[in-house]
Amino acid sequence: MGNVEALIDQAIRAGQKSLAAAGDWLTGEQRLAAALEARDARTNELDLARRNALSPNAVSGKHRATEHLPVEAVEVLHRIASDPGRLTRDWANDMIAALGEEVYTELVGIAAKTAALDMFAWAMSDSDATFRTSGDPDRGEPARHRPQTVGDVGAWVAQSTGSGMANVSRSLSLVPVTNQAWVGLVQALYSRGDGFLDLEWKRALSRPQVELVAARTTAELECFY
Amino acid sequence: MLLSVSGSKAGLDVDLEVAIDADRTGDAGVPHGVELMAFATAANRRNEDLPAARAALKAVVGAEGLLEAAATVAAFNGLVRVADGTGIQLDPSMLTSTSETRDALGIDLFGGAANSVGAPTKQRFEADGTQGLFA
Repeated sequence: MGNVEALIDQAIRAGQKSLAAAGDWLTGEQRLAAALEARDARTNELDLARRNALSPNAVSGKHRATEHLPVEAVEVLHRIASDPGRLTRDWANDMIAALGEEVYTELVGIAAKTAALDMFAWAMSDSDATFRTSGDPDRGEPARHRPQTVGDVGAWVAQSTGSGMANVSRSLSLVPVTNQAWVGLVQALYSRGDGFLDLEWKRALSRPQVELVAARTTAELECFY
Repeated sequence: MLLSVSGSKAGLDVDLEVAIDADRTGDAGVPHGVELMAFATAANRRNEDLPAARAALKAVVGAEGLLEAAATVAAFNGLVRVADGTGIQLDPSMLTSTSETRDALGIDLFGGAANSVGAPTKQRFEADGTQGLFA
C-alpha cells in the first residue's frame, strides 16, 4: 500500500469510527442513526419528490421521528444530504430553534461526513461505505462543550472568530469533536496541510487536475461557495 | 478560482465553462480533462457510466491518480454540504476576485448565493499573511 493510499485508508477508517462514537452533543447511538438517515436520503421518496420539484416547499409530507432522533433532526439530515443547494436561512432558523445551534451543526457535520465516505466508496467500487450497523455503538458520553471563541461571523451558526482561515474551514468550529474528525478526513482526501497553499502539487494528479474534479463536483451539486 | 489560478500557474488555458457544464465537450484545457470530468460526473450521479469512466481514468492517470480523483469527489461532496448547511459566506478574496466569472457562468443563480449578499469584502489574514484551508 502506497503512502497516499495508506493515508486515505486510515482517514476513512477513522471517519467511519467517529460516526459511531459519542460526539459533541449526540451519543454514538444517535450519531450512527443520523448517518444512516443521511444515507437514506438518496433513495427516500419524499426527498426525491422534493429534489425534483421546482421548490422543495411545494411538496407535502414530512419525515418522521425515529427511535433515536427527533423529527427536526431527521429533516435536517435528509435536506442536507439530498438537496443542499436549496437550503435557506429561514429553514435553518426553524431547525435551529427546535434543535439548538450546536446539535444542528453536529448534524450538518454528520451528513457531510456520511456523504464523503459513501461517495469515496462509490467512486472506487460502486458501493456505500461500511458503517457499524449492528452491535453496540460506543457508550461514551458527548463532550457537551461550546467553545468560548465562537461568535457571529455571518453564517447561520456561530463559528470561530478572528480566524484567518477560509470560512469553510471553520464552519463546524462550534462542535469541536465533530470538527476535528471532519478536518482530519478533508486533510487526507484533499488539502493535506500546508501543501494546500502550493499551487503545484507533486501528486499523481496535478493541482489543476484535482481542481477540475472539484469544480465539476461542486457544479453537479450546485454549490455557490 | 483555484482551477483558474493553478491552471494559469501551470501554463494552461483553462475553460471554466467546460469545467462546470457536463453538456459541453472538451478537456477544459487540462491534461486528461475529458476522463477526469467524465469520472467526476458519473460518480456524482452514481450512474451506469461509472465503471467505464473509472477504467478510462485509471488507464490515463494510473491507480493513484484514480484514488486522488475519487478522494477529491468525496471531499467536495462533504464540503458542499458543510458550506450550504452552515450558510457560510463567500470569503472576501473570492467574493471580489470572482465576481465577473460567477456572473458569466451563472453561479450567482445558485441558491447559496443569497448567503453572501452584503458579505464583507475586506481580507482576513493570519499574522503570517496567509489565508489557509485546513492548514
